Amino acid sequence: MAKPEAEIRAWLARHRSDIRVMGYGQLMEVYKDMGRPAEVMERYGVATMGGSHAIGHTRMATESAVTTEHSHPFTAAADMCLVHNGSLSNHNNLRRWLRHRGFAFETDNDSEVAARYFAYRLGEGASLAEALEAGLSDLDGFYTFTMGTRDGFAVVRDGIACKPAVLAETDDWVAMASEFRSLANLPGVERAAIWEPEPGRVYTWNLQ
Amino acid sequence: MVTVDLAQTSVRDLNQRLHDLLPGTNQRLWRVVNPKGQHSIAVGLTAPITVEVDGHAGYYCAGMNKAASVVIRGHCGVGVGENMMSGEVRVKGNASQSAGASGNGGLLVIEGDASARCGISMKGVDIVVGGSVGHLSAFMAQTGHLVVCGDAGEGLGDSIYEAVIYVQGKAHGLGADCVEKKMTPAHMKHLGGLLTRAGIKADLERFRRYGSARKLYNFHVDHADNY
Repeated sequence: MAKPEAEIRAWLARHRSDIRVMGYGQLMEVYKDMGRPAEVMERYGVATMGGSHAIGHTRMATESAVTTEHSHPFTAAADMCLVHNGSLSNHNNLRRWLRHRGFAFETDNDSEVAARYFAYRLGEGASLAEALEAGLSDLDGFYTFTMGTRDGFAVVRDGIACKPAVLAETDDWVAMASEFRSLANLPGVERAAIWEPEPGRVYTWNLQ
Repeated sequence: MVTVDLAQTSVRDLNQRLHDLLPGTNQRLWRVVNPKGQHSIAVGLTAPITVEVDGHAGYYCAGMNKAASVVIRGHCGVGVGENMMSGEVRVKGNASQSAGASGNGGLLVIEGDASARCGISMKGVDIVVGGSVGHLSAFMAQTGHLVVCGDAGEGLGDSIYEAVIYVQGKAHGLGADCVEKKMTPAHMKHLGGLLTRAGIKADLERFRRYGSARKLYNFHVDHADNY
């Protein structure tokens, strides 16, 4: 049986403080690094990987440093990760609020706050859709989020919707990207239903 | 007809070829294949040619268009026909945000839906949308016409100047200083003309007209003491 997360983290802090945890869980793997996207993909052999769902992200830093730790996706619970396009204006308040509830933070990044916020809601027993619905009222700022869990995938945009998003769906798959350019070479995309997610509406899919 | 394959040619090369055409060119029909969501396809055209894009286009397709006719046989990303001056831009599918933004003239037809901020800051362009438009459409619209055959999202015509909006379906909320106005026979006639030019069938009787209450942008004598 796997050791409890806290025990492993404590051991790492004591013996290997140079190791930073980017993702954890039974199913989900997170690869983050700096460099040109094509080189990073090559470095980790992403082309040979398989699985049920995947998120890729290239960060244009606006508020915090360009480091691997500040890169997306952010993992705040086992088998959960979040990608954020936008900027939150109440992340300092939310960070303080989450610290009171026992959450520790690794960066000063606003997207990490969102990841831990959703982890908190999911930990309370909220469904993926419920967690994101709660975010619509608690997160202030502008955002397009996409989140992956062990059996789910979700997309939500704030009510103003200045950050782009496009969804494509066929009988075989569903995909989300900031723009269609990223979906243009998916197999069968010419038969996909393609639409822009509406502002303030939560979209979720669950693995059957 | 000249066919350009964007799997083989860069958008920059395509646009340069289109910009090099003189007004009297014989190469009047161009077909662009494999656009695959690339940005800035067929922008800044000045010759009276027709460009047909077979597939989905990215941002700013046919932006700054003058004299040309551009048809997109697919969906479009942000800002299709932005700042167009004249000519016609037609999207057979849906358009993303800010379609026809700050357009000065010509006709933009979106046969499907357009999302938020359609016709934002329009300055004389005519926009006809076969489906619905998203929130804050015709925001600060100055002149020109926005025709919506479906519904309009919240904040329609916020801070509008003298542009005219026609909506056949439901307007889910008007923005600041935007009000419903009377449809006169002259408006019906003009609307009918726009729909005919756009080649879109609709029921003229069902349209409502919206425009500026002129309380926001006009000087009001009651405010004289503020200066």
